[in-house]
Amino acid sequence: MRIYEWFDRRLNLTSVERTLLDEPIPGGASWIYVFGSATLFLFLLQAITGMFLAIYYAPTPDHAYDSIQFIEEQVAFGAFVRGLHHWGASGMVVAIGLHMLQTFLYGAYKSPREVMWMVGVVLFLIVMAFAFTGYLLPWDQTAYWATQIGLNMVGTVPLVGEFLMKVMRGGELLGALTLSRFFAVHVLFLPAILVTMIAAHLFILRRVGPAGPWTDERASLGRETFYPRQVYMDAVVMLAVFAILASLALLVPFPLTDKANPSDTSFVPVPEWYFLFYYELLKYVHGPLEPLATWVLPMVVILGLFFWPFIDRNPVRNPIKRPAALVSGLLFLLVVFSLLGLSIKNLYAVPRVDPALARGQALYQQFGCIGCHRIHGEGGAVGPDLSYIGDTRPDREWHLKHFRDPQSVSPGSFMPKFPLDEKQLNDLASYMLSLKRTPS
Amino acid sequence: MSEQQGGLEEGGDYTPVGSRRTFFGWVTKVAAGLVGLGLAIPLAGYVISPALKRRVQSWVEVGRVDSLPEGEPSQLEYVTIVRDGYLEAKTQKAVWAVKQPDGAVTVFAPLCTHLGCGYHWDTTDRQFKCPCHGSVYDVTGAVLAGPAPRALDRLPTKIELGRVLVMYKEFKSGLSKSVEL
Ligand code: FES
Repeated sequence: MRIYEWFDRRLNLTSVERTLLDEPIPGGASWIYVFGSATLFLFLLQAITGMFLAIYYAPTPDHAYDSIQFIEEQVAFGAFVRGLHHWGASGMVVAIGLHMLQTFLYGAYKSPREVMWMVGVVLFLIVMAFAFTGYLLPWDQTAYWATQIGLNMVGTVPLVGEFLMKVMRGGELLGALTLSRFFAVHVLFLPAILVTMIAAHLFILRRVGPAGPWTDERASLGRETFYPRQVYMDAVVMLAVFAILASLALLVPFPLTDKANPSDTSFVPVPEWYFLFYYELLKYVHGPLEPLATWVLPMVVILGLFFWPFIDRNPVRNPIKRPAALVSGLLFLLVVFSLLGLSIKNLYAVPRVDPALARGQALYQQFGCIGCHRIHGEGGAVGPDLSYIGDTRPDREWHLKHFRDPQSVSPGSFMPKFPLDEKQLNDLASYMLSLKRTPS
Repeated sequence: MSEQQGGLEEGGDYTPVGSRRTFFGWVTKVAAGLVGLGLAIPLAGYVISPALKRRVQSWVEVGRVDSLPEGEPSQLEYVTIVRDGYLEAKTQKAVWAVKQPDGAVTVFAPLCTHLGCGYHWDTTDRQFKCPCHGSVYDVTGAVLAGPAPRALDRLPTKIELGRVLVMYKEFKSGLSKSVEL
């Protein structure tokens, strides 16, 4: 405290403190106002964890994957820090979504806060750009192929798309130049822009003041200072957000997939959940209509959001008295969430394992094949290693014959004949064929 | 409610006072402290962890006993794989080895104990000489002249089936005792 007084006498800090903390909130502090500060908190958390990740990360195709693996496996708390950054990104999208929803519901974007809303929409777009550029950095299969798709979408924009895509990619192929420019954009360019825009957003907030309740009568009931009650609410929410992210980082591992392999086109990439609805939308639009979905529609939505305060010119803020705005907002959310739901359902509907494989694997156990054969280091070494038998012997007929009578296809084999019926033979063969280096 | 309005100021703003204010302030500080600790501890460990990792040391073959001349130091070069964080790099090392009359082999670390320069064996003077600041050692590694604070560092050595195996180590320079890095 003595130190504070010393500085206070020289820098006159008390007045700064008053300006910062005694900001009046019309109608008093409320739990509904915490989303903005939660978003800000998440941004700070992303900035901090990001800086620490950069301590070990190497943005080149030959080292990016290894450096992340090093963070995951060798560095103390490495998986935790990376987990926080990963889940923090999702948290940020959720927080920003709720913040925008609250602003929309309260009509807080209306005059005189139009500019603040527009800056907010830009902030939202920057966050999405962060998500897109960050996704590539681990340089694993998911990252590589999801980014490939994202870039190809840019390519479908009429006239300039091809050129734009090449600029983003840094040339003809997704490679070293793409990775380093995504990295630079993610850790240098975007943060600089984001900080500037956050400053503008907060500056406007302090110039026009918080919107408060939607009825003037309730707002005029009283104006409570920002400190201590709103600060306390914000702090409690920040702690809760941190607790959720920390538990996710600790409990839900977020492993790397295989290292990016440009020649393996069999990999099915899945974008992050907040891009899923868009990914789903593209499944329904093909051919000449494609640019409509990849370009026109997003443009319309973004511009619509951006200019929303001028589209909704009704000065009333009470949500009940502006059904048109409310219904259009709800409709928008309904579409986004149905698409998201559909997409998640489809993802889970894809049978991860063919039931025949499971049955074949059960037979493998049941007949004790493991006694002689080895699969991924488990089992005896009497017979051939079957780890990648699907690659070396892709012929189903061969397997069927072999199970019926091993001598018929490999003379001299001392593998016994097993009493299997047709279905069992087929199941076991399916299981053998599935043992490949790159599971399809 | 009355307490909440208690802090009413001239401008019409109110601010909680008394025990309510203390409570809010206290919760705020606890929350900030928990988040701060929850970050500070893992992040500190995250940064420090490579500093605490001991280099994994292993025996490396540097040559065969038969090929070493007795009593005459020879420089043995060998290639080892060094793990540098997530990189694996091949590096070349060179150590000085002297075969003793009893067949044992003494191996010296290749760095001068003064400030870590590379020294060489002067065949005419039969001395190890460091060109940097003029340290001189005899064939057993003992200091004969110059600023070197201690004898040449010896590396753990063993002979297996006629092969000389060495465990490479580095030592702090400038100390009168051998301290491993
Ligand atoms: S380093 Fe050898 S004499 Fe200085």
